[in-house]
Amino acid sequence: MTKPFRLTEGGNRIDRSKRITFSFDGRDVTGFAGDTVASAVLASGQKLFGRSFKYHRPRGVVGLGSEEMNALIGVGADAQHEPNLRATQVEVFQGLVCVSQNRWPSLRYDIGATNSLVSRFLPAGFYYKTFKWPRAFWKHVYEPLIRRTAGLGKAAIGPDPDSYEHMHVHVDVLVIGGGLAGLVAAETAALAGAKVLLCDENSELGGIADLTAGMINGACVADWLAPLVVRLTDMPNVQLLKRTTAVGHFYHNYLMAHERVADHDPALLAAGAPRQRVWKIRAKHVILATGALERPLAFANNDRPNIMLACAARGLLTRYAVTPGMNGVVFTNNDDAYLTAFVLKKAGVNVQVVDSRARPDGDLVNQAQAQGIVVSLSSVISAVEGTSSVSAVKIASYRKGQGRVITERKVLCDFIAMSGGWNPVLHIWAHNGGKIKFDEALQSFRPDTHRDAITAVGAANGTMSVKDTIGEAHGAGEVAAKAVLKKAKAVKSAKLQVKEPKRGALEALWFAPATGQANEGGKHFIDFQNDVTVADLELAQREGYESVEHTKRYTTFGMATDQGKTSNLNGLGILAEATGKTIPEIGTTTFRPPYTPYSFGAIAGALTKELFLPVRRTSVFEWHIEKGAVWEPVGQWRRAYTYPKAGEDKTQSIAREVLAVRNSVGLLDASTLGKIEIKGPDAAAFLDRVYTNTFSTLKVGKCRYGLMLNELGFVMDDGVTARLADDHFVMHTTSGGADRIAAWLEEWLQTEWTDYKVFVTPVTEQWAQFALAGPKAREVLAKMEPDFDLDNEAFPHMSFKLGKLGGFPVRVYRISFSGELSYEIATPTGLGLSLWKALIDAGADIGIAPYGTEALHILRAEKGYIVVGDETDGTTTADDVGLGGMVSKKKADFIGKRSLEQSELTRRGRKQLVGLLTEEPNEVLPDGAHAVAAVHDKPPMKTIGHVTSSYLSPTLGRSIAMALIENGRARMGESISFSLEGGKVVKAQIVDHVFYDKDGGRIHA
Amino acid sequence: MLEPQHESALAHVGEPSDTYISIREILTRGMIDLRGQTADRKFMSVAKNVLGIDLPKQPRTSHSFGEVKALWLSPDQWLILCSHSKSAVLQAELASALKETHALAVDVSDMRSIIRLEGEGAREVLMKGGSLDFTDGALAPGYVRRMRFAEIAALVHIVEHNIIDLYVFRSYAQYAFDFLQKAARNGTQTGIK
Repeated sequence: MTKPFRLTEGGNRIDRSKRITFSFDGRDVTGFAGDTVASAVLASGQKLFGRSFKYHRPRGVVGLGSEEMNALIGVGADAQHEPNLRATQVEVFQGLVCVSQNRWPSLRYDIGATNSLVSRFLPAGFYYKTFKWPRAFWKHVYEPLIRRTAGLGKAAIGPDPDSYEHMHVHVDVLVIGGGLAGLVAAETAALAGAKVLLCDENSELGGIADLTAGMINGACVADWLAPLVVRLTDMPNVQLLKRTTAVGHFYHNYLMAHERVADHDPALLAAGAPRQRVWKIRAKHVILATGALERPLAFANNDRPNIMLACAARGLLTRYAVTPGMNGVVFTNNDDAYLTAFVLKKAGVNVQVVDSRARPDGDLVNQAQAQGIVVSLSSVISAVEGTSSVSAVKIASYRKGQGRVITERKVLCDFIAMSGGWNPVLHIWAHNGGKIKFDEALQSFRPDTHRDAITAVGAANGTMSVKDTIGEAHGAGEVAAKAVLKKAKAVKSAKLQVKEPKRGALEALWFAPATGQANEGGKHFIDFQNDVTVADLELAQREGYESVEHTKRYTTFGMATDQGKTSNLNGLGILAEATGKTIPEIGTTTFRPPYTPYSFGAIAGALTKELFLPVRRTSVFEWHIEKGAVWEPVGQWRRAYTYPKAGEDKTQSIAREVLAVRNSVGLLDASTLGKIEIKGPDAAAFLDRVYTNTFSTLKVGKCRYGLMLNELGFVMDDGVTARLADDHFVMHTTSGGADRIAAWLEEWLQTEWTDYKVFVTPVTEQWAQFALAGPKAREVLAKMEPDFDLDNEAFPHMSFKLGKLGGFPVRVYRISFSGELSYEIATPTGLGLSLWKALIDAGADIGIAPYGTEALHILRAEKGYIVVGDETDGTTTADDVGLGGMVSKKKADFIGKRSLEQSELTRRGRKQLVGLLTEEPNEVLPDGAHAVAAVHDKPPMKTIGHVTSSYLSPTLGRSIAMALIENGRARMGESISFSLEGGKVVKAQIVDHVFYDKDGGRIHA
Repeated sequence: MLEPQHESALAHVGEPSDTYISIREILTRGMIDLRGQTADRKFMSVAKNVLGIDLPKQPRTSHSFGEVKALWLSPDQWLILCSHSKSAVLQAELASALKETHALAVDVSDMRSIIRLEGEGAREVLMKGGSLDFTDGALAPGYVRRMRFAEIAALVHIVEHNIIDLYVFRSYAQYAFDFLQKAARNGTQTGIK
């Protein structure tokens, strides 16, 4: 390796005073600050960057920036590894670790490369045609094999240690792209008074101004732009975001952009910066200045390392002083690539031009000839020699429409710079339905109409001249500002002297004929990243894939991570020629976000780990933790499931808690129950309509259990409502129903019963609420210094007291979900923990036990109380669960009443709630187990119902269950069978669903 | 006599030190949820008599008189702020004065936790968690509005340009605090102007 790939002078991006050493595939590479991995590795003499997706062909750098499709690398070690990044965009820093991809065991000796030898047997649709039989092989043989051999990088292993975040921003004008067009448009809009955000995916603003021909007021374009960037940076109404890719455009000018905040600088990361940030941008107007991407040319073996886009070769030299070689061929169908020839020649590189056009007449072509550069007109490259690099090309004469090579000559060279013209970058334009039109001069699509306030300028709009771009960008900036501001300031356009070469016309060249009769000299790649060739596209046509969308999916062309940036139009050109249609007749495929892939970390933002899902905490949360509670998630709440003591397992602690409530006293944190205050002259009438039973008859000071149906007549919620005053109630809902029921009530008031004077105020979180339950509950409460009478007559079941327990303001409801004497005590949440501790202290000497949600469920199941969502499933009526008596026959109307008349709801034999006792008392039926009409050896068996709740009852010393069984109430005493997994059959007897204290004496004790 | 101890949702967490704004819980504030109809003159005048201020009718605004503030929540709902020790008395006064009127005043002092964000960058931190444009000049002191913040419901009240109170339902206080602490970590400034 002796060739000087890094020139001794030049390079507008690099700082030669700062040497940087980093690791590529385990090898130390030295570059300069400002280098990309692509430029530094090329400067070190290495051309090979990776293996291709399907054939494992050696591949090198093709592009200049985000369009790079071959040189994909994995960056970072272990959990910080990120695959599939473009080497042309990854900036080097001291200590950077990166690797090539899709090769095994190494980049140079890759076993998968044998795919190339059999490539004749891997045509388009290969997988669809081949891996069909036998069926059992799909999952276990073919898929693992395909996944191993085809692919890109590897995902990181382990949790990502870095942080990410999102940021919302609203602007008048969003400018996407910081090249000539974007910068001019941004300044104009900002001077007119608009709040402007400009984002650009690159590390430096200016786009490809430094690679552009032309002079503005005697300065080259890049020099003219430099002070503009400084002015913009200083403007208070302008925000510039570098390294920020606009990844998607959505409805109403909502856009997402991905900022690589600290990827280029570990010092930032160490200082606390997020690695990446997603910007969620709402713009009143969008100016699209995304520029254009150069097209590759389709010639035989056009994928060999050291064949790159003309702008990439130009950029490597101009920006990094790196030359791909010392003897190059520029292959073009347009004038622009001649600029690359000039830059190469100036750097002392031997270069010649192969131009497919017969009579190009632009200034640049004439200039090339004047400089003594050899230009072969009416010529194409028909073959490339060399495998892991280029050693020679064959140049053949060509005229448009000619399909074969007639004469060719060999020219030694070590690299090729190609240009097939330029495609405006339309991705963002098209994401949200922007229309595009074909431009004959560009031989490409350009923006047409858009329903959103979005304007494309400069190369993104197909405007390639410097002068026209400045004018267009200025106009767009002004129009955007006027559109979004009440009073936009007038911005005069500066008088500019722009000199730029007159350009000759481009001539479409979709396919360069190759050596050999049937162009068998090698592969003409269209989609480099997915290894799709011209032959694949033509085969798809011959096989009848007429629609471009079908061809795309069949061949996978345009479906790689680059979303067809360089391949889309070339593919359409091939299809057009193969079918004899025009490109507009072929149509285009869909552009989808993201423009370039971005990390899942950035998408998740800050919402990971403890922020992944909000956890709701009651006032007793920390106490529960201290006491070793096992959690049960209930919605977003965490509720204590049980409190195992040392040496207890969960079954034992649950049994202990249940028995404490039955025999002594227990305390439950029921703060999560929904609580809604309802007040107004029509409050009672309102409740009569939302519940099946009657509340207008409820006396002040009393409580009543209510059942709520939806319009379909099915049970949707239940709970106890207390009457605080004639016109004032407090409703309890299920924990899960708290928000939903409050919204439900509000909706009926606001949309249907607008004449009702009722206010509904949810107060769930104002109150901590605890159930003190058990035969000794009154004893404990008495110790709490109540300022009200606890006597059974003064404070009977289903009544409540407003008062004080010592210094605690409380609402005490004598209601029960356990079947025992029970008080639910509510106090303002801030006092919750203090009251809880006081209750625990008061009950300490009689063995008060905190009990969790599982004990709660067992206690209520022993009593046959339903839980909405367990005993009901959204198709269950009040009668189904044995609560038909709660459905008023007298009331004129209530929600769901009309539906109860439907034949399906009145038919006999519906599933009804029953109790079950298994024949074997220790056998606990699984929740959801199905009872069958008759047991067979194997399914199907006809189900007659299912288990809704099932527990081992510590009180009864045996298992109990509730179930919804067809015509269940008429089948008391009958034995039914449950067919379980593994052929096991459990028999159970149908009984009443109230298992304990049927007459309810305990509750009134 | 049983002495109640009041404990806030964030009593066990300290003020974070590695953030570029100050984040702390406001403990001294009482809150009353007041419902009534603006078309009901009697309601409006009684409310004014008791509170000393007109209830704001304009969406997203607030009125204040001394330590009493009325924040607009919806066309028939306000959040009345006062000192925590006075909320029960004020609620009782309102309820009694509004006895003959269709209205509902509920003491909700413990329903929400209030987290005060203070300092240059307070607005930026809020924009990391919600889509509201805090750089908009309309978001001036006195501005109030309910919004989705991170993954939860929240209410913002702009006290001064760089002092903003974030009200969240108490059960979500820890979540909101954790999010804010992360969003305001030193080094995460976005550079937004």
